[in-house]
Amino acid sequence: MASNLDDEIDDLQAKVSSLKKELRIHTSTLITAPSTRQLLAQDTPTSSSASKTQHQQQQKALLADSADQHEAHAQQCLYRACATLTTFRARDPDPRAVDSGAILGLRIEVLSRARFLRPYYVLLNRPFTGAEGSRHLRVHRHTLPACIPLAGLAARYLPPPPAAAKEGSRGAKGQDLARFARAVRREVVRYHHRLGVVADLRKAAGVGRETDAEFGEEERPDRLTDITPADAEVKQLTIEWADGRTGRLVMGDDGEILKLVVLGENGRDREAARGLLGGAATAEDVVKRLAASV
Amino acid sequence: MARISVPTTARLPSTLRVDPTNPAAIKILSRLSRSSLLLVALDWLDQNNLPLALPYLRENEYEDEDEDDEAGDFYPPARSPEALREHYISLQARKGSKREVLDRITEGDWRHGLTLYQLAMADLQYLYDHPTSQKWSAYRITPLKPPHDPDGEEPPEFDDKSLTIPRFHPSTFLRTLQSQVLPDVKAHYNFDTHKTLPLLILRIFILDSPYNTEHALQTTKTTTFDTSRTVYIAFPNASPHLFLTQPTTTTLTTPLPNNPPSLAHNNTASESKSLRHLLIDGLPKALSQPLQRRRVALRPTSLVTRNLAELVARRGGGRTNAAGGGWSVYAGEGRGARESPLDLGLPGPVLGVDDGGEGEGGVVGDKGVEGGKRVAAGGGDEEGRALKRARLVAKARFGGTGLVGDGKGVERVDVVVEDAFPGGEGVEDGPQEEDDEENDEKWRPRVKLTFHGSHVFAGIRQLVESGIIDGERMPGWMTGEEGVTVGAVRHGRIRGHKGSGL
Repeated sequence: MASNLDDEIDDLQAKVSSLKKELRIHTSTLITAPSTRQLLAQDTPTSSSASKTQHQQQQKALLADSADQHEAHAQQCLYRACATLTTFRARDPDPRAVDSGAILGLRIEVLSRARFLRPYYVLLNRPFTGAEGSRHLRVHRHTLPACIPLAGLAARYLPPPPAAAKEGSRGAKGQDLARFARAVRREVVRYHHRLGVVADLRKAAGVGRETDAEFGEEERPDRLTDITPADAEVKQLTIEWADGRTGRLVMGDDGEILKLVVLGENGRDREAARGLLGGAATAEDVVKRLAASV
Repeated sequence: MARISVPTTARLPSTLRVDPTNPAAIKILSRLSRSSLLLVALDWLDQNNLPLALPYLRENEYEDEDEDDEAGDFYPPARSPEALREHYISLQARKGSKREVLDRITEGDWRHGLTLYQLAMADLQYLYDHPTSQKWSAYRITPLKPPHDPDGEEPPEFDDKSLTIPRFHPSTFLRTLQSQVLPDVKAHYNFDTHKTLPLLILRIFILDSPYNTEHALQTTKTTTFDTSRTVYIAFPNASPHLFLTQPTTTTLTTPLPNNPPSLAHNNTASESKSLRHLLIDGLPKALSQPLQRRRVALRPTSLVTRNLAELVARRGGGRTNAAGGGWSVYAGEGRGARESPLDLGLPGPVLGVDDGGEGEGGVVGDKGVEGGKRVAAGGGDEEGRALKRARLVAKARFGGTGLVGDGKGVERVDVVVEDAFPGGEGVEDGPQEEDDEENDEKWRPRVKLTFHGSHVFAGIRQLVESGIIDGERMPGWMTGEEGVTVGAVRHGRIRGHKGSGL
């Protein structure tokens, strides 16, 4: 009985949240529609002259305010979707934060498998004092995974001002936020593309489709049983065959194939390596070949 | 057993058997609970592990004449591993004492010795049963610059501009690590993937012996096996970090009777310290790839804790490495849908003031006490409103971190405050003054703060929520957003930033 009631409450709560979501969508659709904007715009001058109640005026002001907010949000979304690299301002909640808590945020959108992932953020502040260095930025916080060489990129494109720099790094260059942002975004996108290629490879080779082996007559010895990334950057892949051979595929930054070694029982199996690659230069070519052969 | 024992530099083989009456072996086994012991025993009898953990079986199934031998045997040997497996499964279903299982293992089924592999498995099971039994320090694997001079005289430098992420290959790593080990020390290595966390754990069991045969264990029954040490190294998946434990001796708690306990303790303490140094020296060499001119070094990251989940969160492969405390809203996984640029709905307030129904309310308002206070706040009395505000401030400062039940707690935080004493205009002008000469005139008391507890930052969060700490004036390092457990505070911020950001 109690569980029934709990289920019912859960159901109702799920319904409430889905209705709320729907309401949000309808609100934004209606309020950002051009006709609504028009109505609001042409109504404003007449409303001041007409003798309307204060309540109505308040309502109108609220509506206009909300419309502006939605408009701004829609524009931001448009920029985020199209430019995929946007900035925003934030405030550090730490009362003792440098530069009175001013934060410049970089928002990096990643599109993977036809949907936007949660964006990655890099938050910069300006901790340096002194005449020449006060505008220099420094990476404060970020949400990038450990496989993005953010520290190296920051050292290259956002070097600290000369006063704060160590003795060794004389002749420090100026900072270049645009190049830094572009480089970080490129690394992030490359990383996700490599992840995507691994997923495609697995799909094309039928990895994880165990039912085939169970119902099929006999297991083909050259069937690929596993393809997994072997390092943090997903540049190296471990490939396993059904007959126990293992291989290691090394990819470059952009998915080009640098090396492939296959080890069988009797040492190196060059034939299998040739058979898998077949003249493919990039990992995508291998995906196509596998998809065509299976 | 090998006919002759020659001192070698090879590692200890996994199949080497330890006498089950050995105090160290008994200690490893008797630490486990009954259910864990049975679990481990069944693991030993698993098809994959059987070659390394063969039980004592009846020699010939068709021989009947030596039944008399077996008659006096309290634990008659089983006929096959399968039969033994079934017996242990039946033990699992039955209730009984731990002693019963332990005796059966040491006096019955493995009377001819437990292999080092078995001991390693038992030890790892203990680690899984008691996740806080080890203290881990996190190190970052940092690339080094290629040396300029051919002699290698100058100390190597960290390559800050390097874009390579150090890679880790278990078998290559082990081979090179073995070559770093001194010839009069023998080690046994065992890799295992952690059952719940994305970690690869390496257990290193070290013996002081030049031999790698049973000689190493037999001659040492009284002396060297006592000084055997165990070290764990954990490698988080997809992250250039490693976590290292303090070496522990298996028999630290039972010092030799003829030695005064303090002396014995001193000995082992200094020994384990030197072993640790040896490891910290040797690990980067084992991780380096000299042929590809890729050398790495370990950089301490000021994070020491017993909680592996916290280590994985702050030094692992995820997004929360450099976004702790209130910044975790940027890394949060929960509201991913809302962050899509295709979602045109206006995002609600980040702090979730009124969207209690949408899952976030559970974070704050899932306790009955607070629910009651929320009602009080609605009533409008002053105290309730202040509490509500304190809770919101806590949420703003801590984000989704520092919750009591999240299992990611550090148990000790040491902070040294190096700021000038806030007399007169002390505090307010701090951030702007960088010239130390002027500041030196002020009085700088040496203040060291140590926070202890099962989850330090959850405790601070609770203090903020209940209004004891003013959440708005609290410095940032008290939220744990730096991800360090040791630090020095200067100008209200933790200096060095070893653990955060970069």
